[in-house]
Amino acid sequence: MPHSSLTRRDALKTTALSTGAVLAYLSHPQFLFADQDPAETLVPFLDMPRARPGMLDWETLDAWLTPQDQVFTVSHYNVPKVDPGEYRLEITGLVEKPRTLTLDELKARPRSDQLMTLECSGNGSSKGFMGAVYNSRWTGTRLAPLLKECGIKSNAIEVAFIGYDKSSETLRKGTPRELTFDVPFGRSLTVEHAVNLDPLLAYERNGEPLTQGNGSPVRLIVPGWYGIANVKWLRRIELRDTRYVGRFMGRDYVTVRGERRGDTIEYVETSVSKMNLKSIVARITRKPAVNGKIPCKAYGAVWSDGTDIKSVEVQVDGGEWRPAALDKEPRSKFCWTFFSIDLGALPPGKHQVVSRATDVNGRVQPTAQDDEIALKKTYWEAYAQWPRDIELTEG
Amino acid sequence: MHWRMVQGIVSFIALCGAELQPSAPFVHAGDAASNGAAVSGTVVYTADSQRPWRYARYYVTDAKHGYLAEAVVCLSQRGLKNFRPRATPQTVTMDQMDYRFVPETVAIRAGDQVRFTNSDPLLHNVMALGGVEPLNVSLVRDSEHVQTFRRAGNAKNPVKIGCSLHSQMQAWVFVFDHPFFAVTAADGKFRFDDVPPGEYTLELVHPAGGLSWRQPVTVAAGEMKTIDIRVSPDNKD
Repeated sequence: MPHSSLTRRDALKTTALSTGAVLAYLSHPQFLFADQDPAETLVPFLDMPRARPGMLDWETLDAWLTPQDQVFTVSHYNVPKVDPGEYRLEITGLVEKPRTLTLDELKARPRSDQLMTLECSGNGSSKGFMGAVYNSRWTGTRLAPLLKECGIKSNAIEVAFIGYDKSSETLRKGTPRELTFDVPFGRSLTVEHAVNLDPLLAYERNGEPLTQGNGSPVRLIVPGWYGIANVKWLRRIELRDTRYVGRFMGRDYVTVRGERRGDTIEYVETSVSKMNLKSIVARITRKPAVNGKIPCKAYGAVWSDGTDIKSVEVQVDGGEWRPAALDKEPRSKFCWTFFSIDLGALPPGKHQVVSRATDVNGRVQPTAQDDEIALKKTYWEAYAQWPRDIELTEG
Repeated sequence: MHWRMVQGIVSFIALCGAELQPSAPFVHAGDAASNGAAVSGTVVYTADSQRPWRYARYYVTDAKHGYLAEAVVCLSQRGLKNFRPRATPQTVTMDQMDYRFVPETVAIRAGDQVRFTNSDPLLHNVMALGGVEPLNVSLVRDSEHVQTFRRAGNAKNPVKIGCSLHSQMQAWVFVFDHPFFAVTAADGKFRFDDVPPGEYTLELVHPAGGLSWRQPVTVAAGEMKTIDIRVSPDNKD
């Protein structure tokens, strides 16, 4: 499995450059996809916010493994600072042999890597929140063997993952039955998921210890699930015989979506879990105009919950859908795959470019007008096609 | 171009332009304007292919020359504090549009105002992150909030502005207690007129790019001084 990170420098080394292209590059360094010609220049998207540190900068995307300065962090309670030397992870509840492990004890266990694209489930809900996704090589030890050693009791149905972060929550605010209580952050998986999804107890990202914002010293990594499931600052793993329904499973991170039942629409609430099939045009480039038209290319990324991708197609100005070329490597089951397509020579003026992905099960990334998006009343799981607007000039 | 943006840019240019004109309110107490000199120049960013600046595309639109936009350039000297505020405070507009503050960097005199507006079809917030003057308002579409900035932080202590609802939105308000400051446009140029003779530090701050630069400068009476500023990744904070 290819694990390498393609950097701008790697791209330069592996791309034949003309002297002119080199000069153009040196005068104004660009960030390049692997097969991008440095003579191509960026066509900025119209009316988009400026990228900032702490979020993925799509237009300069050049690394399959995302550098740390573009990694988003979201915290729901406090951001605990946990001393690695004092760190303890409890495995408790319905297990035969409860355990408490130090960080060193976790590191002494079999070491394992998990390549995974991690996306916030709200990513893509607006053009102001488009860069909350990144790709990583997580390193840690697998959860399932540890649970097996502890002995899962037969009546356990749920594995709750509890963080060091905590806050107070208030239910039924303003009513006679108002209730306020202190609670740590938590999410859960079924026992079946905890064993079969093969989650990782991760203590490194891209070969470095986790940052505080990303859950240092240990976080859960659940392959193919949205960011909220990947509990940071992991403190306790608790086997239970009842479903766990914390705020971030039962009240928040709940998708409310209308489903058609004949002539009526019935709303259904589901807890945010697996990632959805999604693609996006990351950037568009151009070369100098030829006979009044501008040669353009589009580059992008596609990802899913691990379901294999069948194709990505790209459409310009509502025309025919044309297949994009998916990079053969680097690739990994739970990671994004980069794609590119030659858009041909476009006339000057405004254009709209959009991509759509299809997986091997025939699922097609919907438009914003399709029922599964249009009838979705919450912004979680924002995986609609995302049209990109550009303006080309001859000069 | 959205009308609010036009208003904002026009008022922003007007405000900076006013600073470039010889005018009585800016005269240093005890110094004659007629002895004033001028300091001008161009700010150029020198790219380094080994250390590319991810956000250069926003601030260096002329890659051939490297003119650096949205840099704050100013003179500093202890004696400059003796300038009186403007007789008539001015107002600059900072809009919220497409999840951006537009413009993102403004420079004003102590006592001037910033009119914050919202052109986006959703709720934004304007919050001062740090600073001594509290500011935390929410703006629905087409609403506004006018804030007076009375305390000068000069180049060292700008008021950083954010939107609590959209964390990638950021802006800076530089408040000066003298008139010798400018925010560069796409041509990278700056100019200060009516500068009293003396010894100063010429400073550059590019808050969004994390760049800073400074150099002592001596200005003689009536001198027309040109100083071109070259910054590179070596000038990262």
